[in-house]
Amino acid sequence: MSYTSSQVIVLPQTKQLQAMLTIIRDKNTQRADFIFYSDRIIRILVEEGLNHLPVVEKIVTTPTGKEFKGIDFQGRICGVSIMRAGESMEQGLRDVCRSVRIGKILIQRDEETALPKLYYAKFPPDIASRYCLLLDPMLATGGSAIKAIETLIEYGVPEERILFLNLIACPEGIKAVVDKFPTMKIVTAGIDQGLDDKLYINPGLGDFGCRYFGTDK
Amino acid sequence: MKDTKLGTRVIANDGRPPWYSHDGQNCDTYIVGIAGASASGKTSVAQRIIKNLNVPWVVLLSMDSFYKDLTPEQVKIADNNDWDFDSPDSYDYDILIETITKLKQGKMVDVPIYDFETHTRRKDKHHTVYGANVIIFEGIFGLYDKKVLDLLNLKIFVDTDADICLARRLKRDVAERGFDVQGVLQLYQRFVKPAYDNYVYPTRANADVIIPRGLENLVAIDLLTKHIQRQLQDRKMKSRWDLARIEPPLAPSPNVIVLKETKQILGMHTMMRDANTSRHDFIFYADRMATLVIERALDEIPYEPQVVETPTAKTFNGLKVAAQIVGVSILRAGGTLEVGLRRVLGDIAIGKILIQTDPSSGEPQLHYCKLPQSIHAPDCYVFLCDAVVGTGAAALMAIRVLLDYEVPEDRIVFLCFLAGPQGLHVVSQAFPKVKIVTSFIDPVLNADTLYLEPGMGQFADRYYDS
Repeated sequence: MSYTSSQVIVLPQTKQLQAMLTIIRDKNTQRADFIFYSDRIIRILVEEGLNHLPVVEKIVTTPTGKEFKGIDFQGRICGVSIMRAGESMEQGLRDVCRSVRIGKILIQRDEETALPKLYYAKFPPDIASRYCLLLDPMLATGGSAIKAIETLIEYGVPEERILFLNLIACPEGIKAVVDKFPTMKIVTAGIDQGLDDKLYINPGLGDFGCRYFGTDK
Repeated sequence: MKDTKLGTRVIANDGRPPWYSHDGQNCDTYIVGIAGASASGKTSVAQRIIKNLNVPWVVLLSMDSFYKDLTPEQVKIADNNDWDFDSPDSYDYDILIETITKLKQGKMVDVPIYDFETHTRRKDKHHTVYGANVIIFEGIFGLYDKKVLDLLNLKIFVDTDADICLARRLKRDVAERGFDVQGVLQLYQRFVKPAYDNYVYPTRANADVIIPRGLENLVAIDLLTKHIQRQLQDRKMKSRWDLARIEPPLAPSPNVIVLKETKQILGMHTMMRDANTSRHDFIFYADRMATLVIERALDEIPYEPQVVETPTAKTFNGLKVAAQIVGVSILRAGGTLEVGLRRVLGDIAIGKILIQTDPSSGEPQLHYCKLPQSIHAPDCYVFLCDAVVGTGAAALMAIRVLLDYEVPEDRIVFLCFLAGPQGLHVVSQAFPKVKIVTSFIDPVLNADTLYLEPGMGQFADRYYDS
């Protein structure tokens, strides 16, 4: 594969992460549990994503009067969710980054061309000066992710300031994205085997947005 | 009808000072046995000793709690006042000995409640007794059984004149219980007196001390109290200041797990440590940090393979948690991890242990303990939470409580935001199988203030704004 590990960050595959992924993949998991465990993984994803922002040293004085040599984060962030499934990650983002600004992109498959088409984009006005956490739980073919990243770049966000946060990816989608954008970063909780003939991630977890928002039944 | 007396009860409201040595091992609980005739004043003597001792956490255990269950036929006999409750055979010595043995080892026990209406032990209820420094065990046959005698540290026989005993018994049963004089005398002649002469009186020989005249004998009771006090004095453990002066090894024990120092962790610590951080921000970062500590701790419990089918009909070979988890917070500061516990573990049951520092001695004291039933489940792990481990004194006490409740040592995971080398050393030396997960280790424990440095200050005060 052509991507480097510094560009694609996979969460440490701890036993508890695997157990959470097992629960959200299980078709018999109830929606309340699906949401609860998805949110837990998403928080860990966001925590990991923030590790890739620039910092400077900062020394503070503790209540005991001693100095603590710490760090301070540089640069402001904003979230951008790819509708609809990406919006499911906003709660986890807010749990970690209070009052974070969030932009939205709606991308749908064009019935005529079968290519992803941008229908709607609404961003904070100063998005070009922020680090963007792009949210989409599943990275399958990479079609909508690529369209979303292109849109962000059009709005003036430098590619290297884009972090794509994602629960489950597959090699095809990762390759498609990193081939096109070699300086952005992808943070994912797991990389599956690949795509099946219907272009679903294998084994995947079905339609994330439908399961999270309850429109699958 | 028999006197229900007090059953068991914990007297005094002060916190309980450490009942274990600095290596975490329990000191045997001091057990006083008191025997004597019915209405000889055993209970009064016991209460006088307790009042004189003036130490917290004394448990009075009555032998009446250990009567055998009667069969329905036997109950009929008892209802006609024909059953001999004054025979040494009417007690269940197996449960009695098991109870006293566990109490002596410092463990939590469920003491039966005997129902004198049905003449059986209550199935639905019992007294949970935990945390006694001194146990006073009283009953007419208190010095009768050889195995019981072996468990007693001090054996007292209250030798009150038989006429006085009878007079008291008459007064008590007639005035307070509505018996007629005839009935009381009949019982006395048939059962009480023969049992005393044949079985109780001879146990005088087993006593260390015989108190003539019972409660009237203040000199004897005061001498006994002084003796017990001297025995208790010899059991003091090292103070927190002694713990603070321990020279810890350079590397912490392998059971100490420190979160990887990522930019996030360091950035959050910077916020939490800054004396100028607002309370609002402090809580926000503490809750976030707690979540990460708990996520890390979850890697220390067992998992088993689990195969599931996805909605697209694919098979996934995954994992499943193979344990129950119970949270226990050491109050007050340990409560600061509860938001994190709920975020990560949803409806987890949470027990509480209140440990406060005694301002006069600086020692930790146990004030309150309420643990969920599920800690007794065979697959249960306990996440024991405290904000900061300084000297390790509170952690030591809380772990000791869990062990006394018979939670296996290797099922305890201790979670905290911040720890110092001395405290980690004290805990891992005493309890090498307990895992400790912390987000950071600070280098210095100030031996005068007992604060970690650079530290975070008074964690609970900053979180709860007090």
